[in-house]
Amino acid sequence: MYEIQRRALLKGAAAGALAFSVDGADVLLTPRSARAQGVPLRTLSAAQAETLDAVGETLVPGARQAGISHFVDQQISIPAEEALLEARILNVRPPYANFYRAALVALNGASERLNGGRAFAQLSETEQHGLVDNMRQNKVEGWQGPAGPFVYLVLRSDAVDVVYATMDGYAGLGIPYMAHIAPTKRW
Amino acid sequence: MANEKVDAVIVGAGASGSVFAAVLTQAGKKVVVLEQGPDWQLTDLISSDIWGRRIKPASGPFLLEGKNPYGYGYNAGWGVGGAALHYFANFPRLLPNDFKIKSEHGRALDWPISYSDVAPYYDKVARDVGVSGDAKAEEIWRPPGEPYPMAPMKTFRNGEVWRKGFEAVGIRLVPAAVGMNSTDYKGRPACIYDGWCHIGCPIGALANPQATYLGDARKAGAEVRARSTVTRVLTNPEGSKVTGVEYYDEKRERQVQEASAVVLAAWAAQNPRIMLNSATDKHAKGLANGSGLLGKYLMAHFASGTWALFDEDIQNYLGTTGVQFMSYDRYDKTSHKDAFGIPSSRRVMRSRRATSPASPTRGSTCLGLSSRRS
Repeated sequence: MYEIQRRALLKGAAAGALAFSVDGADVLLTPRSARAQGVPLRTLSAAQAETLDAVGETLVPGARQAGISHFVDQQISIPAEEALLEARILNVRPPYANFYRAALVALNGASERLNGGRAFAQLSETEQHGLVDNMRQNKVEGWQGPAGPFVYLVLRSDAVDVVYATMDGYAGLGIPYMAHIAPTKRW
Repeated sequence: MANEKVDAVIVGAGASGSVFAAVLTQAGKKVVVLEQGPDWQLTDLISSDIWGRRIKPASGPFLLEGKNPYGYGYNAGWGVGGAALHYFANFPRLLPNDFKIKSEHGRALDWPISYSDVAPYYDKVARDVGVSGDAKAEEIWRPPGEPYPMAPMKTFRNGEVWRKGFEAVGIRLVPAAVGMNSTDYKGRPACIYDGWCHIGCPIGALANPQATYLGDARKAGAEVRARSTVTRVLTNPEGSKVTGVEYYDEKRERQVQEASAVVLAAWAAQNPRIMLNSATDKHAKGLANGSGLLGKYLMAHFASGTWALFDEDIQNYLGTTGVQFMSYDRYDKTSHKDAFGIPSSRRVMRSRRATSPASPTRGSTCLGLSSRRS
C-alpha cells in the first residue's frame, strides 16, 4: 500500500502536479490549474479559502491566481508525511488543518472586530496590508489564535511557494534553476 | 515475529548509525539497520525547494509543548540518511578549550577526554568522507593536524561580500572545512556549485550517508530495513544483558530483532525515548537510567542569521549552501562582555531559495552564527 502511495507521490513530483480529487477520481493538477478548473475544496470551507486567497495575495502578489488555497487545501487533506508545506519544517504539529483553520479564524476575527464586522477579504488593499503588517509585528490587539508573527511566516511561505518556488517563479526572478534532478514540468 | 539473530542491530540510518554499520560490516559482522522513515535513494532528491521537504520530519512522536518547546523540523531528518541527507556538510572542529570549561573557568564540567584524544578521528573522518578545506589556515586557532584531503571549495561573490565587513572589525576568515568534493574523490564527483545542498545532493559530491558510510555498509552486506520503528530494547530475564530490539514494520506488525549488540543511533530525543520505554522490573526507570537523568539536560546549539540585500548581483544561486568561510575569532568563552560561554563560530552562508527570509530578490546572502556544525 505504502509503495503505491509513494509511487503516486513521485509521479506527482515528476509531473509538477498534486493529486486533486475531481468527481471522485484523483487527477494530477497544478494548484493554478485546480483553481482555474474550480476543483472542489476538500478541507477548507469556501470562506476560509476566500480569506486565504486574500491574505496570500496581500503577502505575495500573484498568490491567488497561482492557487494558494487549492495548494494548502490539498496539502492539509493528505497524510502529514506526504505534505510539502513549509509548516512541516516550522514545527507545526499535525494535523496541519488545525493550524490553518485557527490562523484564518484569528485573522478574520481580528478583521471583523477592528473593521465593523467586515471579513478580511472584504477589506480594501490598504486595510489588508495594514492588518497583515500589524499581525507580523504582533500588534493586533486582542488577537486570538496562533501567534500573529508565526501565522505571517507560515502563510507567507505558502504564498512564496506557489508564486516563486517553481521553475517559472525562478525564471521570473531571473535566477537560473540549475537542477540536478529537474522536476520534469516547471515545479 | 522473530528474525534471525544478527551480530548487531543499529537503530537509525543517519550520520552516526551509518558509521557503526560500515565499520561493523567491514569487520565481517552481520548487521541490520532499522530506520523509522522511508528508504530514500539519491535519485529521490529532486531539485525543488518544495519537494525537498519530503526528507524532513512530518510529525511526532515529539511533544512540542511546554515552556521551551524544542524546534527540530528544519534540522532534523526523516528516513534513511537522516538529517545528514540534507545537511550542509559543515565540518568545524571543537577547540581544546571546549573540553576544559571547569578547569579554565570553574563552571560546568570538563570532558573526560581532550582535544588531542579526538584529533586523530577528526583527521580520519576527513579522509573517510572527503573534506575540503585549508587545515593550515585553521591552525591560527587549533593545534596542527593532517591536511584535508582536498583543497578548499570555490568561493563566490555572495560569500566574498562579507569579507570587507569582517576585515573592518578585525575578524579573520579562512576557507570553511566542508564535507564536499572540490575535486573528484573516492569515485564521487566534484561539486558543480549549483546550490541545491539544502534539499540533498543527488550526485554524491556532498558527503551524505548514502554516498559514504551507509553506501559502504550496504556494499559490505548490511541490511537496511526502512519504515521500522523501534519501540524497546529487549533484555534477558535477569536484566543483565541486552538481547535485541522490538520494532514495528511498515505494516505495523510487531517484530523482534535479536542481536548480540544493540546500537542506538536514533538521535538525541529518540534514544532516550526508546530507553525510557524499555523499562522492566529490573530496570524500572528505563535502561541506563540509574541516575534518573536519562533524557534530561539535552543541549541544542543555537544559530542565528543576519540577512542582507545588495544592489549588485551577488549570484546567490551559486555555491555551497552551508558555508564558504569560517572564523573562530572571539571564540573564547569570555570574549563577549557580560556574557560567558558563547562558542560562536561564524559562517558565511548563502541561500539559493528564490525567496529567502529576506525577500524574493537576487541579492540576498546570510551570515550565520552557530555554536556547532549545521
